[in-house]
Amino acid sequence: MATHKHTLVPGASFVDPKVLARIGNLELLARTIVDGFINGIHRASYLGVSVDFAEHRGYTPGDDIRRIDWRLYARTDRYYVKEFEADSNANFSVILDVSKSMAFSSGGLSKLDYAKYLAASLSYFANKQRDRVGIVTFDSEILERVPSSAKHLDLVFHTIDRAVAGRPGQLGDPLFRMTEFFKRRGVLALISDFYEEPDTILEAVKQFRAQGHDVMVFHVLDPAEVEFPYDAASSFEDLESGERIPIVPENLRAQYRKLIKEHTSTLARRFTEQRIDYAVFNTSTPIDHALFAFLSARERLLRVRR
Amino acid sequence: MTFLAPLLLLGLAALGIPVLVHLIHRERDQLIQFPSLMFLERIPYRSMRRQKIRNWPLFLLRCVALILLILAFARPFFTSATTVAGALGGGREIVLLLDRSYSMGYGDRWQRAQAFARREVNLLGANDRATLVLFGRSAEASARSAVDHASVHTAIDRAEVGVGITRFGPALQLAKGILEQSELTEREAILISDFQKNGWSGDEAVTFEEGVVLRPVSVDESDTSNITVTSVAFEREPFSATEQVTALARLVNRSRLSATNVSVALELDGREVAKRLVDIEASATATVAFDPFIVGEGQLRGTVRIGDDALQQDNAFHFTLSSGQLVSVLIVKPDVANPDSSLYLERALAIGNTPTFITEAITVRDLDVNALEGRSVVILNDTAPPVGSAGDALVDFVSAGGGVLAVLGEQVRWTSEVSDILPGSFGAPTDRGSNRSNVLGYVDYSHQVFDVFNAPRSGDLSSAHFFRHRPFTVTNPESILARFDDGSVALAERRLGQGRVLVWTSTLDSYWNDLALKPVYLPFVHQVVKHLASYVEPTEWYTTAQVLNVASLYAASGRRLEPKHDDPVAVTPTGERQPITVNDSSALLELAHQGFYELHTPGGDIDIPLAVAVNTDRSESDLTTLDPQELAGAVTGRAGAATPGHLVLHEQSPKEIEGQQALWRYLLVVALLLLTAETVLSNKLSQRAQ
Repeated sequence: MATHKHTLVPGASFVDPKVLARIGNLELLARTIVDGFINGIHRASYLGVSVDFAEHRGYTPGDDIRRIDWRLYARTDRYYVKEFEADSNANFSVILDVSKSMAFSSGGLSKLDYAKYLAASLSYFANKQRDRVGIVTFDSEILERVPSSAKHLDLVFHTIDRAVAGRPGQLGDPLFRMTEFFKRRGVLALISDFYEEPDTILEAVKQFRAQGHDVMVFHVLDPAEVEFPYDAASSFEDLESGERIPIVPENLRAQYRKLIKEHTSTLARRFTEQRIDYAVFNTSTPIDHALFAFLSARERLLRVRR
Repeated sequence: MTFLAPLLLLGLAALGIPVLVHLIHRERDQLIQFPSLMFLERIPYRSMRRQKIRNWPLFLLRCVALILLILAFARPFFTSATTVAGALGGGREIVLLLDRSYSMGYGDRWQRAQAFARREVNLLGANDRATLVLFGRSAEASARSAVDHASVHTAIDRAEVGVGITRFGPALQLAKGILEQSELTEREAILISDFQKNGWSGDEAVTFEEGVVLRPVSVDESDTSNITVTSVAFEREPFSATEQVTALARLVNRSRLSATNVSVALELDGREVAKRLVDIEASATATVAFDPFIVGEGQLRGTVRIGDDALQQDNAFHFTLSSGQLVSVLIVKPDVANPDSSLYLERALAIGNTPTFITEAITVRDLDVNALEGRSVVILNDTAPPVGSAGDALVDFVSAGGGVLAVLGEQVRWTSEVSDILPGSFGAPTDRGSNRSNVLGYVDYSHQVFDVFNAPRSGDLSSAHFFRHRPFTVTNPESILARFDDGSVALAERRLGQGRVLVWTSTLDSYWNDLALKPVYLPFVHQVVKHLASYVEPTEWYTTAQVLNVASLYAASGRRLEPKHDDPVAVTPTGERQPITVNDSSALLELAHQGFYELHTPGGDIDIPLAVAVNTDRSESDLTTLDPQELAGAVTGRAGAATPGHLVLHEQSPKEIEGQQALWRYLLVVALLLLTAETVLSNKLSQRAQ
């Protein structure tokens, strides 16, 4: 991967051509109806010009007479206007967790870096399909916000580039506040490591669903968080709280793995119940592979659900 | 096990260090930052983590190394045998050669030697086998290859300094036999001695086989002084009917310093009769002459004694003196004899004091019973015995044990009336011819008369020329003791009763031969007379370890011991009664003590007590030492592991014992090896952890 130092737009370095080449023939389609202004690939909340017939309605003065269905008039002797479903672009926002725990790395890419690649790729991808892109970063509070706009890709990249994991984080309060920002229905990509109780996470995320957003949840985890490969008895320090406890890893590795697995599976089940796409991204997995797999699965599911 | 510095054992408290390292220190050292302890905190496991020791091999390695280090600094040493055995592995064959010659009685040598032997036994392990060999002139093994070390201890405790001399050869030979028979691999002989030079001649031909160790332990002192009475000589002179004896004591000063005012006393029958003070130069001898004393009828016990010194066993010299050492010889000449026919004979018998010959010359006419009274030998010099009572008296004299020498000269006429006491008959004198002579051609050197001439350059009997002699025909050819070179008899013998008769077929003057002019004449005459008188050279003293034939001792005093009837009993100098069995005219007694043995014949008709003086062998008084290493090298073929002298001067202090064992070195080496292993192991573990 290239480093941002050699690019004109800071943050653009997080867009890896390899990733884009891999997912280029896919579409990030909103599963729900989104509110857009221009023609796009998403189903809009209004009727417009498209090839997909929606309904007939009675002619009211002011309607374009070009849209009167003359065939139906011949049969019914009444004026009906033929309406088509509109295709719209969507607001695509990345909600990026930059709490301290995201800075963790067991050797390779840190979770935050991985999340940045993910956010940048998704933003670029969405912008490319004419969606409006924006980003919100948060830890225990909202740090930066770039409203969704078709022209905000550079800003989004800048924000991604500046994002630094520095403070402890939490999901509930910041996400509640963010509901104010996303009035218009769109696609939200929440990227976090979700060190909260599943109920808390669900309560926070469910609000976006209630607003009608299509929410994608990316659970980024380091392999060390999954496997817990430590051997030597050591003191473990919580990156966010600074708390330390002496640990003999080999004695509780199995239990830890069981707990983390329970956590992810609980989240997966609960998000699915809320029709929220949930995926665990292991930072040891190449991002192109992971993203391709996610988007492919999402596409397949979308066809089924429609 | 005991420690020289037990306080250092407090350092064992340092064992807590590896425990802390393994339980706490490592955890604190390594801090791992983790995104969230949310799940870890849910696991109820923390209480056990601090108690569990990680990496047991490393932990034990550190603990053992630390313990060994502390033990090494505490300077441990073993005081008992079994523990040393456990430490050293055991399975040794040890032969303790303990010198018990009387020179070990010098100062406290014996006590130090015993202490060292005990200490060596204490150092033996449970599997070790020990043999104690006590040696002097000979060697004797006690508690042979004993696993029960208590018996060896007992044997050491019971051992005493003897009266013998040092001879390393038999002891080393015995040790060699014991060690070579042992199947144990580690074999060692420990020779504890004062290493007198006299004990090792270098010709012993004792060589230990490969792998057998000889460890010499010397207990001699660097500077010794010893004065000894080496011998007593006697000058006997006839005095009235008895003898007057002058005793001459010979003293040797075997030290580097001269001795002054050494008291030398003469005791006779337990009573001090004379005392002298003498000065003796360093490494010199002195002779002390005492006033003459009379030896009466009975046996006289004497002792020459000097003052005390460090070695007591050679300070007294015992002897016995008996009367009857005068041989009375009666020379019977013909009535008309050559004036000097007995000249050479009388002159020859006048010389010498062992024995002293008392001669008297008479004519045959004067020979009667009275003349034979008290005589030991009668020499019929060119005359026949008288007929009648005198002749019968002569026969009785011979039968009773007297001796007769018949010299067949020019005038002898042996008529038929004369008692037949000769071993044969003789004829008229014969000449060999002008300018021709006979010499003695055959001599029975095994006979007592010629025994002294047997050795080379001890007198040439053939140097005498015999021009005339009387031919003699013996009744028993075995009675011939010498012949002339023409085969005719020169000397013949006949036993008659308890006595003997010798016939010399030529003369003892210078008429018929020139024997009287030859050097062999005097000893020849002396030997003939002593033989006829049944003279036994008196033994004033014997030496310890000699075996005495009591029967011959009695025989010399004219008494024959009958088996079972006359079994004598010896009272040793220590007061013990020691029965002696008479067997075929021999009765043997080993002289094991210094002093006076008293012999009795309680079963006999007459109990004649006989005293026998016994002295130690004075060669042992020479305390000159040899280099123990030289001896060890000669026996083993390599330099021996020496234990320097004066080691057992006192009970060893703990520091000395610890110094000899030096266990701390082994502990330190093992601890360092363990620490090296620990370093390697911990490095590997650390690399694996990373």
